[in-house]
Amino acid sequence: MDVIEHPPIFHLPGIPDHVTYTWLVMIVLAGLALAASRNMGLVPRGVQNLMEVVIEQIQGLIDDVMGPEGRRYLPLIATLGLFILVGNLMSVVPGFATPTANLNTTAACAVIVFLTYHWIGIRKQGALTYLKHFMGPVPLPLKPLMFVIEIISHLARPLSLSLRLFGNMTGGHILLAIIFFLMGLQGLIGWALSGSSAGAVIGGIGGLIMVAFTVGFLYPLKLLVAVLQAFIFIMLTMLYISGAIEEAEHGHEAQHH
Amino acid sequence: MRRTLMLTVLGVLGAPVLAHAADAATGGGWVGPFAVIAAGLGMAIAAGLCGLGQGRAVASAVDAMARQPGAAARIQTAMIIGLALIESLAIYVLVVAMILLFVQPIK
Repeated sequence: MDVIEHPPIFHLPGIPDHVTYTWLVMIVLAGLALAASRNMGLVPRGVQNLMEVVIEQIQGLIDDVMGPEGRRYLPLIATLGLFILVGNLMSVVPGFATPTANLNTTAACAVIVFLTYHWIGIRKQGALTYLKHFMGPVPLPLKPLMFVIEIISHLARPLSLSLRLFGNMTGGHILLAIIFFLMGLQGLIGWALSGSSAGAVIGGIGGLIMVAFTVGFLYPLKLLVAVLQAFIFIMLTMLYISGAIEEAEHGHEAQHH
Repeated sequence: MRRTLMLTVLGVLGAPVLAHAADAATGGGWVGPFAVIAAGLGMAIAAGLCGLGQGRAVASAVDAMARQPGAAARIQTAMIIGLALIESLAIYVLVVAMILLFVQPIK
Protein backbone atom coordinates (compact mmCIF):
# COMPACT_ATOMS: atom_id res chain seq x y z
CA MET A 1 0.00 0.00 0.00
CA ASP A 2 3.02 2.28 0.05
CA VAL A 3 1.93 3.68 -3.30
CA ILE A 4 -0.98 5.52 -1.76
CA GLU A 5 0.24 6.07 1.78
CA HIS A 6 2.24 9.18 2.30
CA PRO A 7 3.85 9.51 5.71
CA PRO A 8 1.90 12.11 7.66
CA ILE A 9 3.64 15.24 8.90
CA PHE A 10 3.67 14.09 12.52
CA HIS A 11 5.15 10.63 12.90
CA LEU A 12 6.20 8.88 16.10
CA PRO A 13 8.93 6.31 15.47
CA GLY A 14 7.89 2.75 16.20
CA ILE A 15 4.18 3.50 16.50
CA PRO A 16 1.76 2.99 13.58
CA ASP A 17 0.32 6.22 12.24
CA HIS A 18 -3.31 5.31 12.82
CA VAL A 19 -2.57 4.77 16.52
CA THR A 20 -0.88 8.17 16.78
CA TYR A 21 -3.82 9.88 15.13
CA THR A 22 -6.32 7.93 17.21
CA TRP A 23 -4.60 9.51 20.20
CA LEU A 24 -5.02 12.87 18.52
CA VAL A 25 -8.75 12.19 18.13
CA MET A 26 -8.90 11.27 21.82
CA ILE A 27 -7.09 14.48 22.78
CA VAL A 28 -9.46 16.57 20.65
CA LEU A 29 -12.58 14.93 22.09
CA ALA A 30 -11.34 15.00 25.68
CA GLY A 31 -10.33 18.64 25.31
CA LEU A 32 -13.76 19.51 23.91
CA ALA A 33 -15.47 17.67 26.75
CA LEU A 34 -13.30 19.40 29.38
CA ALA A 35 -13.83 22.81 27.82
CA ALA A 36 -17.57 22.21 27.64
CA SER A 37 -17.96 21.02 31.23
CA ARG A 38 -15.57 23.40 33.00
CA ASN A 39 -17.89 26.38 33.38
CA MET A 40 -21.25 24.70 33.17
CA GLY A 41 -24.17 27.07 33.43
CA LEU A 42 -27.92 26.77 33.16
CA VAL A 43 -27.74 29.00 30.09
CA PRO A 44 -25.11 27.35 27.90
CA ARG A 45 -22.49 29.47 26.22
CA GLY A 46 -19.63 28.81 23.86
CA VAL A 47 -18.27 25.28 23.74
CA GLN A 48 -20.91 24.00 26.12
CA ASN A 49 -23.60 25.25 23.74
CA LEU A 50 -21.96 23.50 20.79
CA MET A 51 -21.61 20.17 22.58
CA GLU A 52 -25.16 20.36 23.91
CA VAL A 53 -26.46 20.84 20.38
CA VAL A 54 -24.47 17.82 19.18
CA ILE A 55 -25.65 15.61 22.04
CA GLU A 56 -29.25 16.75 21.61
CA GLN A 57 -29.13 15.88 17.92
CA ILE A 58 -27.90 12.38 18.69
CA GLN A 59 -30.50 12.06 21.45
CA GLY A 60 -33.26 13.07 19.04
CA LEU A 61 -32.00 10.48 16.55
CA ILE A 62 -32.06 7.80 19.26
CA ASP A 63 -35.59 8.80 20.28
CA ASP A 64 -36.70 8.55 16.66
CA VAL A 65 -35.14 5.17 15.96
CA MET A 66 -35.16 3.29 19.26
CA GLY A 67 -37.91 4.92 21.26
CA PRO A 68 -37.64 6.05 24.89
CA GLU A 69 -35.77 2.97 26.15
CA GLY A 70 -32.89 3.77 23.83
CA ARG A 71 -31.65 6.66 25.97
CA ARG A 72 -29.72 4.22 28.17
CA TYR A 73 -27.37 3.57 25.28
CA LEU A 74 -26.70 7.22 24.51
CA PRO A 75 -23.12 7.14 25.95
CA LEU A 76 -22.08 4.24 23.74
CA ILE A 77 -23.72 5.55 20.58
CA ALA A 78 -22.66 9.17 20.99
CA THR A 79 -19.07 8.17 21.82
CA LEU A 80 -18.86 5.95 18.75
CA GLY A 81 -20.41 8.63 16.58
CA LEU A 82 -18.14 11.44 17.79
CA PHE A 83 -15.02 9.28 17.59
CA ILE A 84 -15.77 8.14 14.06
CA LEU A 85 -16.85 11.61 12.95
CA VAL A 86 -13.67 13.30 14.19
CA GLY A 87 -11.57 10.44 12.81
CA ASN A 88 -13.26 10.74 9.42
CA LEU A 89 -12.87 14.52 9.33
CA MET A 90 -9.12 14.07 9.73
CA SER A 91 -9.11 12.71 6.19
CA VAL A 92 -9.72 16.22 4.80
CA VAL A 93 -6.86 17.79 6.77
CA PRO A 94 -3.77 17.72 4.54
CA GLY A 95 -0.83 15.98 6.17
CA PHE A 96 -2.86 14.01 8.70
CA ALA A 97 -3.34 10.27 8.71
CA THR A 98 -6.94 9.07 9.01
CA PRO A 99 -7.49 6.62 11.86
CA THR A 100 -10.65 5.25 10.27
CA ALA A 101 -8.89 4.52 6.97
CA ASN A 102 -7.22 1.60 8.74
CA LEU A 103 -9.09 -1.68 9.06
CA ASN A 104 -7.87 -2.21 12.64
CA THR A 105 -9.66 0.89 13.96
CA THR A 106 -12.94 0.22 12.20
CA ALA A 107 -12.88 -3.47 13.11
CA ALA A 108 -12.38 -2.53 16.77
CA CYS A 109 -15.47 -0.30 16.66
CA ALA A 110 -17.51 -2.95 14.84
CA VAL A 111 -16.52 -5.71 17.28
CA ILE A 112 -17.52 -3.49 20.21
CA VAL A 113 -20.94 -2.97 18.59
CA PHE A 114 -21.31 -6.70 17.87
CA LEU A 115 -20.48 -7.80 21.42
CA THR A 116 -22.58 -5.03 22.95
CA TYR A 117 -25.81 -5.72 21.15
CA HIS A 118 -25.61 -9.44 21.85
CA TRP A 119 -24.83 -8.68 25.51
CA ILE A 120 -27.83 -6.34 25.68
CA GLY A 121 -30.08 -8.95 24.08
CA ILE A 122 -28.92 -11.68 26.48
CA ARG A 123 -29.28 -9.37 29.49
CA LYS A 124 -32.79 -8.38 28.44
CA GLN A 125 -34.27 -11.80 27.83
CA GLY A 126 -31.89 -14.50 29.03
CA ALA A 127 -29.50 -16.58 26.97
CA LEU A 128 -31.94 -19.35 26.02
CA THR A 129 -34.75 -17.08 24.87
CA TYR A 130 -32.30 -14.96 22.94
CA LEU A 131 -30.80 -17.99 21.20
CA LYS A 132 -34.27 -19.35 20.48
CA HIS A 133 -35.06 -16.17 18.64
CA PHE A 134 -32.41 -16.94 16.04
CA MET A 135 -34.64 -19.74 14.75
CA GLY A 136 -37.22 -17.28 13.53
CA PRO A 137 -40.92 -17.69 12.82
CA VAL A 138 -40.68 -20.78 10.61
CA PRO A 139 -42.09 -24.31 10.92
CA LEU A 140 -40.13 -26.80 13.03
CA PRO A 141 -38.28 -28.73 10.28
CA LEU A 142 -36.80 -25.51 8.94
CA LYS A 143 -35.55 -24.24 12.29
CA PRO A 144 -31.99 -25.69 12.22
CA LEU A 145 -31.44 -24.27 8.74
CA MET A 146 -32.79 -20.89 9.85
CA PHE A 147 -30.50 -20.97 12.88
CA VAL A 148 -27.38 -21.44 10.75
CA ILE A 149 -28.44 -18.73 8.31
CA GLU A 150 -29.16 -16.28 11.12
CA ILE A 151 -25.79 -16.98 12.77
CA ILE A 152 -24.02 -16.31 9.49
CA SER A 153 -25.99 -13.13 8.89
CA HIS A 154 -25.18 -11.90 12.39
CA LEU A 155 -21.49 -12.68 11.87
CA ALA A 156 -21.59 -10.70 8.63
CA ARG A 157 -22.74 -7.58 10.47
CA PRO A 158 -19.39 -6.57 12.05
CA LEU A 159 -17.67 -7.50 8.80
CA SER A 160 -19.85 -5.19 6.74
CA LEU A 161 -19.77 -2.43 9.38
CA SER A 162 -15.98 -2.35 9.47
CA LEU A 163 -15.44 -2.86 5.74
CA ARG A 164 -17.94 -0.14 4.81
CA LEU A 165 -16.22 2.53 6.89
CA PHE A 166 -12.73 1.38 5.92
CA GLY A 167 -13.57 1.11 2.22
CA ASN A 168 -15.20 4.51 2.02
CA MET A 169 -12.35 6.27 3.75
CA THR A 170 -9.60 4.42 1.87
CA GLY A 171 -11.42 4.82 -1.43
CA GLY A 172 -11.44 8.58 -0.93
CA HIS A 173 -7.73 8.46 -0.19
CA ILE A 174 -6.97 6.49 -3.35
CA LEU A 175 -9.06 8.92 -5.41
CA LEU A 176 -7.16 11.91 -4.01
CA ALA A 177 -3.83 10.11 -4.45
CA ILE A 178 -4.60 9.41 -8.12
CA ILE A 179 -5.65 13.02 -8.74
CA PHE A 180 -2.49 14.30 -7.03
CA PHE A 181 -0.43 11.83 -9.04
CA LEU A 182 -1.98 13.23 -12.24
CA MET A 183 -1.25 16.75 -11.02
CA GLY A 184 2.16 16.16 -9.47
CA LEU A 185 5.63 16.81 -10.82
CA GLN A 186 5.43 13.72 -13.05
CA GLY A 187 2.03 14.82 -14.33
CA LEU A 188 0.41 17.91 -15.67
CA ILE A 189 2.25 20.48 -13.57
CA GLY A 190 5.57 18.88 -14.39
CA TRP A 191 4.63 19.07 -18.05
CA ALA A 192 3.73 22.74 -17.64
CA LEU A 193 7.13 23.42 -16.07
CA SER A 194 9.05 21.33 -18.60
CA GLY A 195 9.72 24.29 -20.90
CA SER A 196 8.00 23.18 -24.10
CA SER A 197 5.29 25.57 -25.24
CA ALA A 198 2.69 22.88 -25.92
CA GLY A 199 3.36 21.42 -22.48
CA ALA A 200 2.97 24.85 -20.88
CA VAL A 201 -0.46 25.37 -22.48
CA ILE A 202 -1.92 21.88 -22.08
CA GLY A 203 -0.28 21.15 -18.75
CA GLY A 204 -1.24 24.52 -17.33
CA ILE A 205 -4.89 24.23 -18.37
CA GLY A 206 -5.06 20.59 -17.28
CA GLY A 207 -3.47 21.38 -13.94
CA LEU A 208 -5.93 24.22 -13.33
CA ILE A 209 -8.85 21.93 -14.18
CA MET A 210 -7.53 19.29 -11.80
CA VAL A 211 -7.05 21.79 -8.97
CA ALA A 212 -10.56 23.16 -9.50
CA PHE A 213 -11.95 19.60 -9.61
CA THR A 214 -10.20 18.69 -6.37
CA VAL A 215 -11.15 21.82 -4.44
CA GLY A 216 -14.65 22.17 -5.87
CA PHE A 217 -15.76 18.56 -6.03
CA LEU A 218 -13.53 16.05 -4.27
CA TYR A 219 -13.12 17.89 -0.97
CA PRO A 220 -16.87 18.56 -0.52
CA LEU A 221 -17.50 14.94 -1.48
CA LYS A 222 -15.04 13.73 1.14
CA LEU A 223 -16.65 15.97 3.78
CA LEU A 224 -20.08 14.58 2.87
CA VAL A 225 -18.83 10.99 2.98
CA ALA A 226 -17.13 11.59 6.35
CA VAL A 227 -20.33 12.85 7.98
CA LEU A 228 -22.54 10.31 6.21
CA GLN A 229 -20.43 7.29 7.19
CA ALA A 230 -20.37 8.34 10.85
CA PHE A 231 -24.16 8.76 10.67
CA ILE A 232 -24.64 5.37 9.04
CA PHE A 233 -22.40 3.66 11.58
CA ILE A 234 -24.36 4.91 14.59
CA MET A 235 -27.65 4.40 12.72
CA LEU A 236 -26.89 0.72 12.14
CA THR A 237 -25.68 0.41 15.75
CA MET A 238 -29.04 1.75 16.92
CA LEU A 239 -30.91 -0.63 14.61
CA TYR A 240 -28.94 -3.64 15.87
CA ILE A 241 -29.43 -2.71 19.54
CA SER A 242 -33.14 -2.00 19.09
CA GLY A 243 -33.44 -5.29 17.21
CA ALA A 244 -31.96 -7.08 20.22
CA ILE A 245 -34.30 -5.24 22.61
CA GLU A 246 -37.50 -5.39 20.61
CA GLU A 247 -37.45 -9.14 20.40
CA ALA A 248 -38.19 -9.24 24.13
CA GLU A 249 -41.29 -7.11 23.81
CA HIS A 250 -42.95 -8.23 20.62
CA GLY A 251 -42.02 -11.86 20.80
CA HIS A 252 -41.45 -13.61 17.50
CA GLU A 253 -41.83 -11.11 14.78
CA ALA A 254 -40.09 -10.57 11.50
CA GLN A 255 -36.91 -8.76 12.45
CA HIS A 256 -35.40 -6.18 10.26
CA HIS A 257 -31.83 -6.26 9.14
CA MET B 1 -18.97 -5.50 -34.89
CA ARG B 2 -19.18 -8.69 -32.90
CA ARG B 3 -15.90 -9.97 -34.24
CA THR B 4 -14.19 -6.68 -33.36
CA LEU B 5 -15.55 -6.92 -29.83
CA MET B 6 -14.35 -10.49 -29.46
CA LEU B 7 -10.92 -9.60 -30.82
CA THR B 8 -10.70 -6.69 -28.38
CA VAL B 9 -11.61 -8.90 -25.44
CA LEU B 10 -9.13 -11.52 -26.59
CA GLY B 11 -6.46 -8.87 -26.99
CA VAL B 12 -7.06 -7.42 -23.54
CA LEU B 13 -7.11 -10.80 -21.87
CA GLY B 14 -4.23 -12.15 -23.97
CA ALA B 15 -1.88 -9.21 -23.63
CA PRO B 16 -0.51 -10.26 -20.25
CA VAL B 17 0.39 -13.67 -21.64
CA LEU B 18 2.34 -12.08 -24.47
CA ALA B 19 3.93 -9.65 -22.07
CA HIS B 20 4.82 -12.51 -19.79
CA ALA B 21 6.30 -14.51 -22.66
CA ALA B 22 8.44 -11.49 -23.43
CA ASP B 23 10.03 -11.34 -19.99
CA ALA B 24 9.67 -14.93 -18.91
CA ALA B 25 13.35 -14.94 -18.01
CA THR B 26 12.79 -12.57 -15.10
CA GLY B 27 10.92 -15.30 -13.24
CA GLY B 28 7.87 -13.26 -12.22
CA GLY B 29 4.53 -14.97 -11.76
CA TRP B 30 1.88 -14.87 -14.45
CA VAL B 31 -1.02 -13.94 -12.15
CA GLY B 32 0.07 -10.35 -11.54
CA PRO B 33 -1.04 -8.76 -14.85
CA PHE B 34 -4.33 -10.66 -14.75
CA ALA B 35 -4.85 -9.43 -11.19
CA VAL B 36 -4.62 -5.83 -12.39
CA ILE B 37 -7.16 -6.51 -15.16
CA ALA B 38 -9.44 -8.33 -12.74
CA ALA B 39 -9.27 -5.46 -10.26
CA GLY B 40 -10.18 -2.89 -12.90
CA LEU B 41 -12.93 -4.93 -14.55
CA GLY B 42 -14.40 -6.04 -11.23
CA MET B 43 -14.51 -2.50 -9.90
CA ALA B 44 -16.12 -1.29 -13.14
CA ILE B 45 -18.84 -3.96 -13.04
CA ALA B 46 -19.47 -3.42 -9.34
CA ALA B 47 -19.65 0.36 -9.68
CA GLY B 48 -22.02 0.16 -12.64
CA LEU B 49 -24.43 -2.32 -11.09
CA CYS B 50 -24.25 -0.56 -7.72
CA GLY B 51 -25.19 2.66 -9.52
CA LEU B 52 -28.18 0.92 -11.09
CA GLY B 53 -29.33 -0.41 -7.73
CA GLN B 54 -28.87 2.88 -5.92
CA GLY B 55 -30.67 4.67 -8.75
CA ARG B 56 -33.70 2.43 -8.32
CA ALA B 57 -33.67 2.97 -4.56
CA VAL B 58 -33.38 6.76 -4.82
CA ALA B 59 -36.06 6.88 -7.53
CA SER B 60 -38.53 5.03 -5.33
CA ALA B 61 -37.65 7.15 -2.30
CA VAL B 62 -38.10 10.42 -4.17
CA ASP B 63 -41.38 9.12 -5.56
CA ALA B 64 -42.59 8.27 -2.06
CA MET B 65 -41.43 11.63 -0.70
CA ALA B 66 -43.31 13.46 -3.44
CA ARG B 67 -46.48 11.52 -2.64
CA GLN B 68 -46.20 11.95 1.11
CA PRO B 69 -44.15 15.02 2.02
CA GLY B 70 -45.10 14.56 5.68
CA ALA B 71 -43.12 11.34 5.91
CA ALA B 72 -40.10 12.73 4.07
CA ALA B 73 -37.75 12.60 7.06
CA ARG B 74 -38.41 8.95 7.84
CA ILE B 75 -38.22 7.96 4.19
CA GLN B 76 -34.93 9.78 3.86
CA THR B 77 -33.46 7.95 6.85
CA ALA B 78 -34.56 4.60 5.47
CA MET B 79 -33.20 5.54 2.06
CA ILE B 80 -29.78 6.44 3.47
CA ILE B 81 -29.56 3.15 5.35
CA GLY B 82 -30.56 1.24 2.24
CA LEU B 83 -28.03 3.12 0.16
CA ALA B 84 -25.33 2.27 2.69
CA LEU B 85 -26.24 -1.41 2.54
CA ILE B 86 -26.21 -1.40 -1.28
CA GLU B 87 -22.99 0.53 -1.39
CA SER B 88 -21.24 -1.87 0.94
CA LEU B 89 -21.44 -4.49 -1.83
CA ALA B 90 -19.39 -2.25 -4.10
CA ILE B 91 -17.07 -1.56 -1.17
CA TYR B 92 -16.44 -5.30 -0.85
CA VAL B 93 -15.29 -5.33 -4.47
CA LEU B 94 -13.11 -2.31 -3.77
CA VAL B 95 -11.47 -4.16 -0.89
CA VAL B 96 -10.92 -7.23 -3.07
CA ALA B 97 -9.46 -5.00 -5.80
CA MET B 98 -7.12 -3.39 -3.30
CA ILE B 99 -6.03 -6.78 -2.05
CA LEU B 100 -5.36 -7.86 -5.65
CA LEU B 101 -3.41 -4.69 -6.40
CA PHE B 102 -1.45 -4.02 -3.24
CA VAL B 103 -1.25 -7.18 -1.13
CA GLN B 104 -1.01 -9.65 -4.05
CA PRO B 105 -1.57 -12.89 -2.17
CA ILE B 106 -0.95 -14.93 -5.36
CA LYS B 107 2.01 -13.82 -7.39
